Amino acid sequence: MAESLDLVLKNDLGELDRLLSLAEEFCEGHGASPKVTYQVGLVLDELFTNIVSYGFDDGRDHDIRVRLWLGDGSLHAELADDGRPFDPLSEAAEPDLAAEVDDRAIGGLGVHFVKTFMDGTRYEYVDGQNRLRFWKALG
Amino acid sequence: MDVVETQAGDVTVLAPGGRIDSVTCKAFEEQVMARINGGTTRLLVDFGNLDYISSAGLRVLLMAAKRLKAAKGRFAICAMKDHIREVFEVSGFAGILDIQPDRDTALAAMG
Repeated sequence: MAESLDLVLKNDLGELDRLLSLAEEFCEGHGASPKVTYQVGLVLDELFTNIVSYGFDDGRDHDIRVRLWLGDGSLHAELADDGRPFDPLSEAAEPDLAAEVDDRAIGGLGVHFVKTFMDGTRYEYVDGQNRLRFWKALG
Repeated sequence: MDVVETQAGDVTVLAPGGRIDSVTCKAFEEQVMARINGGTTRLLVDFGNLDYISSAGLRVLLMAAKRLKAAKGRFAICAMKDHIREVFEVSGFAGILDIQPDRDTALAAMG
């Protein structure tokens, strides 16, 4: 199993299956538990889907780069895109976790999963790119 | 994602398998809504074969719960794997949806 996985994906949800399949294979290949494998896939899904759905205003094709690698006993991931500058960690709406069925909305849950399930996160905007990084201990 | 449908008395059981992600949630939504639009008021979703759900899948479940609450029906989910159960807890869904340990218990509770 390679030490890193580098993917260049189009801003198209049709790429999601490839992203999840390869990310799961990478996690499992490095001994991640089924739970960690699921949580990393889930977080990649939520972030990739947000970028594809809301990140671009020009209707054109864009590349979204996803990289997974190992370091210090943790799995690290970075998503990079050239969409409009947006830090989901601080700018995404907070979900209302206490509302009853009739008043519940789904917005913000994906970012909530990122913050809850991962061990750490970092966002930066560099060279015209959003770069969101997260990491999670293997095990 | 594929969905196996069975009827248990007056409860319709839908059992999705594999992954409900941002893409496959659409097929799942169509199946669930087709049953509700077709008049089903007692719906059980069996997660025994489901390995993955994202917030897009949670949205479908929430929609079904709202519709069946309005119709004075019943909606429950059963047989969740632990890692999926954790997502329901973290999102607050465990407190607002009817989650049952297994299919038999769910059917008994809904019957």
